[in-house]
Amino acid sequence: MRLAFVFALIATPALADVNRALDAHILPGHAHLVETTSALAAAAEDDCAPETLQAPFGSAYDAWLGVSHIQFGPIEDRGLSLAMAFWPDPKDSTGKALGRLTEAEDPIVDDADAFGEVSAAAQGFTALERLLYEEQANPDYACRLTVAIARGLASMSDELSTDWQAHAELMRGAGGIERYQSETEAQRALFTALLTGLEFLHDQRLGRPLGTFDRPRPLRAEARRSERSQRHVELSLAALEELALAMAEGLPATEAAFAEAKERAAALDDPALEGVADPALRFKVEVLQQSVRAVQVAVIEEIGTPLGIQAGFNSLDGD
Amino acid sequence: MLSRRGFIAGLGALAAPAAGWASAGDPVALSGAKLSDGSFALVGLRLDGGLAFSAPLPARGHAGAAHPAVAEAVVVARRPGRFAMVVDCARGAVRQELTAPQGRHFYGHAAFSEDGSLLLTPENEYATGAGRIGIWDRRLGYRRIDEVSSGGIGPHEIIRLKGDTFTVANGGIRTHPKTGRERLNLDDMEPNLTILDATGSIAHQVPSNAARNSVRHIAADEGGRVVVGCQWQGDPFDAPALVAIYAAGRLTDLDMDPGHARGLAAYIGSVCAHGQGAAVSAPRGGRVEVLGPDGGLVVSARARDICGLCSVAGRTIATDGLGRVYRLEDGGLSRLAKHPVAFDNHLIAL
Repeated sequence: MRLAFVFALIATPALADVNRALDAHILPGHAHLVETTSALAAAAEDDCAPETLQAPFGSAYDAWLGVSHIQFGPIEDRGLSLAMAFWPDPKDSTGKALGRLTEAEDPIVDDADAFGEVSAAAQGFTALERLLYEEQANPDYACRLTVAIARGLASMSDELSTDWQAHAELMRGAGGIERYQSETEAQRALFTALLTGLEFLHDQRLGRPLGTFDRPRPLRAEARRSERSQRHVELSLAALEELALAMAEGLPATEAAFAEAKERAAALDDPALEGVADPALRFKVEVLQQSVRAVQVAVIEEIGTPLGIQAGFNSLDGD
Repeated sequence: MLSRRGFIAGLGALAAPAAGWASAGDPVALSGAKLSDGSFALVGLRLDGGLAFSAPLPARGHAGAAHPAVAEAVVVARRPGRFAMVVDCARGAVRQELTAPQGRHFYGHAAFSEDGSLLLTPENEYATGAGRIGIWDRRLGYRRIDEVSSGGIGPHEIIRLKGDTFTVANGGIRTHPKTGRERLNLDDMEPNLTILDATGSIAHQVPSNAARNSVRHIAADEGGRVVVGCQWQGDPFDAPALVAIYAAGRLTDLDMDPGHARGLAAYIGSVCAHGQGAAVSAPRGGRVEVLGPDGGLVVSARARDICGLCSVAGRTIATDGLGRVYRLEDGGLSRLAKHPVAFDNHLIAL
């Protein structure tokens, strides 16, 4: 018992490597987001035809999935989370916001600075997906809107990436600074991002379309219009695994759980997750959801517990 | 309520003089806590975040009420518990245990009358689902002497306003101990805020802003304004305003921007008045926030498992499940102290 305790003390400093998480995951992830959104914006300025933009849109959206779980720091400080991607969207805020702009043929789309002030629901990847994958009643205006959104995504990505350079230094120098009073706090911020990302995958990306057995909700799948729903599940698993493995070494249960979840996700063969409404296929999504739960359990045990993070005394109990 | 039971008033003189709060280390707030050895306690916090006292409890308490003059508190079991513990905070020991009557359970909250002679406890009459307010007389050794209607289903928190008027947050959710905390009436909820006058009669009621928006926690300021915190029983991405202010007979939402409720996981854990606005905690969202009088966000700070919140001596104090005590100001959250305990959901201001 005493030996185990001593071992735990020695093992702790090796865990939760903040530098590696920054250098191997967060910073390159944001740099990649800048590259791909800039390419998307350039392509849109060149030719706004949906069919030519679908490929650069896909690459940029892929890059976003690589960092979309990093919801603390610059994105929070700048309040850009929903402007990058407005989902879940149960009230169809995106459809309504795009509808309002289109109906008024609002010239705000031609002013890059002002466009940042329109509804977040009309600004990001979820709005652009509509324009590129749905029939447009007013193709001329849709073109202007497409260019505005693509430019906005590039400029927001640029802001996030630039801010991350400075924020990374705050996290590296943790200790004494108000924001991260100790290295543990920087580690905890990373761990919270990991856990929240897994929860979002389980509850929203998979849970929303699953609904209940009696009432599956395939139309609630993320990015179903571009048939990227399954891809988002796979990309988010890959991104979360990258973060987990950057944070710590020697995580057998975590690695095994990710491997199983990734295998199940890849085997779905159901791009828009329509299978949730088919009793014969639904179980595959349910089993995948359970394997995401297993990843959550593994990372809590192997990364959270050594960091002294227990399940929330209050957040879990509630009332 | 005092006038209705005036016949007992004379008994107060018989009670032995008891020590005031100074004898318990001068706490400004109380909280339930889990200690590092897994046992439970009621602790007193000083304004600087230090511990004033720690009294062991035989079981986990949720919240409760502090006596206005004597160093005595009543800690109530978590829903659907049926026990409450009277704690002598000067001696640091449980003095007495109260049990809910047959067919009733508590909701984890309670309030004292202005003179501290009566204790009021929200309860579930679970055979019918009716919300009740139990009335216990401290001068008779906490004998149960009466009860009144809470004005709704699922009475959660009760607080005292001026004199002996009380406000009850009727969360609207029907539960039965057989099925634990399972919500039995999600499609048929009618949460409301009820004002009880000094006779225990319903003086006023206002419905929540939406049927599925369970009003749960309330806190008043000196002017009688009541901050109301809700827990949305629906899609967290489709939540209405979660915080409202009750003043001059009206319940007014503090507007939230789209996406705001998401960050709070559509769940408010505790509230207190903060200047002209409100402070709210969101343990599931891991956040604490100050909202301006019209709902504009003044500050939002992340803190894992944060929940306890109260306003004392013009300051807003917060606690979390990791043992940290904070001061919340318009400029942000700063840590006052860290103790090797997990603070439970609520702070009881003295």
